[in-house]
Amino acid sequence: MKRRVKTMIGSKNCDDPIIDYKSTEYLEKFLTPQGQILSRRRSGFCTQCQKQLKSAIKRARHVGLLPFVG
Amino acid sequence: MTQTYETMVLLDNDVVRQDWKKAKAIVTDTVAKYGGSLESCRRWDERRLAYPMKRKNRATFYLAYHDMPGDMIPGFLRDLELNESVLRYLMVRVDETPEDERKLAAEEDGAEYSVPEPPDDDLIEVPEEAETDPLMDIDIPVDIPAEASATAPEPAREG
Repeated sequence: MKRRVKTMIGSKNCDDPIIDYKSTEYLEKFLTPQGQILSRRRSGFCTQCQKQLKSAIKRARHVGLLPFVG
Repeated sequence: MTQTYETMVLLDNDVVRQDWKKAKAIVTDTVAKYGGSLESCRRWDERRLAYPMKRKNRATFYLAYHDMPGDMIPGFLRDLELNESVLRYLMVRVDETPEDERKLAAEEDGAEYSVPEPPDDDLIEVPEEAETDPLMDIDIPVDIPAEASATAPEPAREG
């Protein structure tokens, strides 16, 4: 059976500017409509950048810039 | 050993409405109290929160870059925690203070700078509770014969 691969947001996201918790518009691109963080397969980040993304989103959630749900 | 930190503090809009310089002083004074040297402190933004905090929908964000000795940090964070005007805070270790931040903070310290009035819709409206419970007004007839209630047998005890 052929495996269906979901489209990435961008394949060269690692070249983007530094991931910061204050740039909420950029971080919102890597959230689902329910507020979940996209997986590495869908976000297109390498391991290190995905970790930075994760911590940035969690920091933004803590200070109320991004929602936990929805 | 001192390290540079980036601290974001969410302040209650009521304090900012009274005096925005006083609100800023909450951050600057707390840093100074714990031996920190402030490199920049400015009003980052005023915006709607993604979820309510302490029954507030909006908050003013202050962003500060400062040095602080490591052993003073627990006291500093505790002071922020106990301050009722602080809705939330975030302290992150950074390598150095960005140059843009220094410029923006210097602009804010100028005499011409003024902070716009925060919108009024920051307080969550809590519906007032009904004075009387509607269920308590219903009269339920209870007919217990006086003799039966007086001569009710006591439940048997075991053991």
